[in-house]
Amino acid sequence: MQIIKGIKVAPGVVIGPVYYFERNKIPIPQTLITDIEVGIELDRFQKAIERATAELNQVRSLVVDHLDEDHAHLIDAQLMTLTDIELVKEVSNLVRNQHHNVLWAYYEVMEKYEAALKKSLSKYQAERLIDLHDVKKRVVHHLSMQTDYSVPQMREPAIYVGDRISPSDLIHIHHQKTIGIITQIGGMDSHAAILARAFGIPYLSDVAEIEVIGKAVKIILDADHEQILIDASPAIVDEYEIKIQEFNIQKHRLLNHKAPAVSRDGVAIDINLNAGFISEVNAVNPAQIKGIGLFRTEYLCLERNTIPDEEEQFRAYTQILKEMKGKPTTFRTFDFGREKLMAILDLEMFHTDTIFETWGGIRFCLDNPELLITQLRALLRASPAGPMRIMFPLVSNLAEIHHALALYKQVQSDLQTEGHHVAAKIPLGVMLETRTILEELPELTNLVDFFSVGTNDLALFLLGSKRTDTLTKNYYHPLIFQTIDRIVEIGRKKSFPITVCGEMASDPCAVLGLLALGVRSFSMSANALSAVSDLVRAVDIRKVSALKENLLTAESATLINAILQNYYQKYIGNGR
Amino acid sequence: MVKQTVKILNRHGLHTRPATVLVTQATHFKSEIFLTYNKVRINAKSILGVLVLAVEPDAEVILEAIGPDENEALAAMVELVANKFNTE
Repeated sequence: MQIIKGIKVAPGVVIGPVYYFERNKIPIPQTLITDIEVGIELDRFQKAIERATAELNQVRSLVVDHLDEDHAHLIDAQLMTLTDIELVKEVSNLVRNQHHNVLWAYYEVMEKYEAALKKSLSKYQAERLIDLHDVKKRVVHHLSMQTDYSVPQMREPAIYVGDRISPSDLIHIHHQKTIGIITQIGGMDSHAAILARAFGIPYLSDVAEIEVIGKAVKIILDADHEQILIDASPAIVDEYEIKIQEFNIQKHRLLNHKAPAVSRDGVAIDINLNAGFISEVNAVNPAQIKGIGLFRTEYLCLERNTIPDEEEQFRAYTQILKEMKGKPTTFRTFDFGREKLMAILDLEMFHTDTIFETWGGIRFCLDNPELLITQLRALLRASPAGPMRIMFPLVSNLAEIHHALALYKQVQSDLQTEGHHVAAKIPLGVMLETRTILEELPELTNLVDFFSVGTNDLALFLLGSKRTDTLTKNYYHPLIFQTIDRIVEIGRKKSFPITVCGEMASDPCAVLGLLALGVRSFSMSANALSAVSDLVRAVDIRKVSALKENLLTAESATLINAILQNYYQKYIGNGR
Repeated sequence: MVKQTVKILNRHGLHTRPATVLVTQATHFKSEIFLTYNKVRINAKSILGVLVLAVEPDAEVILEAIGPDENEALAAMVELVANKFNTE
């Protein structure tokens, strides 16, 4: 038996066959076509170019609006390449005269140009290489729509193994019933990780020997113990089968228990769900949660690979509100971080250009106000379907919130003029994630109705660690605890509602610390609902509050973690 | 057919940015327009061709136009080269 280690991104244990996805090896069928098919193939080629051009034009207008013409030039070069007169001629000739299928022909010609360009560019260093690879990928994708070579294709439920996984690929394989994920590159806080946890798919990243695992027929993925077992003995397989059964029983329990979360000494704690897909909302019992504390609306775009129009958004929001049967849903307006835009528009440039790092949150929507206006219109129109709250992400100063509120008021009055029904009172809130907004909290309480603390990005901004860093559990850092304490204090003085969302709120041990600080509302991914609710029922709030001083004076994350682990094992761990 | 030898003045030669300008302008003419450098002759309406040519700074290239508006085309191309493709 061989054991390979990794880092847990999403919990769970599965046994199953391997699906090894080698991204750069797009199988190009080298088949010949008949005379009659020439016309059909050339027609496919033209359509693929048209689709790719439309996509790139969309990207171009986003780049021009937000950045500058300089970046747009790189896209212009890509656009020109799509319709390059010589390229089209050469591909058409191969199809017409040599009867190569169009995918093969296109691939051949592009390979030739890529090689030639590489050779000539080494002679003199061009300031920037035009991204032919991106163009090729885009056209090949459209040429192979029917057979889809560029995205993973699973024929049976299996464990995905690959160098990495993009959020859109993850959604794709989720629909193909993937049972587990193993990647070489990844990270706890990446969006793919958030999705894997949301879908309840066990996921290990930072696994070194991907090729070895890729060749295995059947493996055991034990994300809980951060290991992969290859060629396990029947006895070990049996042992794991039992573990999996237990895991399924636990999962079942999640759907059935209904009691609201109240601490041992009778303090009601709000347990909310983080979601981004209607399927996640369907998977939980609304009776066991207070509401949806964070609905990530940009995931609607991930599913469609485009930004949906007002009608489509209106239908989606209405459906969610109806599913929640009277429980409130907090919609976060589009939060297009670099990675999300990357997933939606799938442009290689986003991987390499640092300028996109600051391109996200409310800033992006304010720079493209038509996006925010469309979204607010759809949300407000959906508001009669159930109680909703709206919050703005990654706000960094008061000017941004003034701007967002002005747009909100404009949309509100426009809809009234047009005769739409809109709920009388929709609470508006701000996600507290950046360092600069923390200085404006007292004033901010006069402008909006609630705060939500996004611990993932807050840790990123306060501690400077990258989202894709594999550093796990950085939220135990003293600075995070001190900051949340300050936020809770301000909230308490003004009776201002505060919720903590982010991965921190999904970790029972960290939740213990947050309860000690006085946090009474949490929002978390579905797989944490059961564990956090159990924790709340086992906790005595008065007793745990005594930890507060120690937590706020602790000098390191290790110490804070130790205080909480110790308390957890002493008073709670045994009870579960 | 008309042709003229010109010198590329751009600091980094015919890189992506001037190349896109060249191709865009060339496409406006009915005539065929060719660019010859290091004895390689390419279609000036093809971005891939122009980029693969990798014309270095201060290099001499031959511009060539064939077609109904060849004179205007050549004149426009020569002017473009002299103006560093309006990019610097």
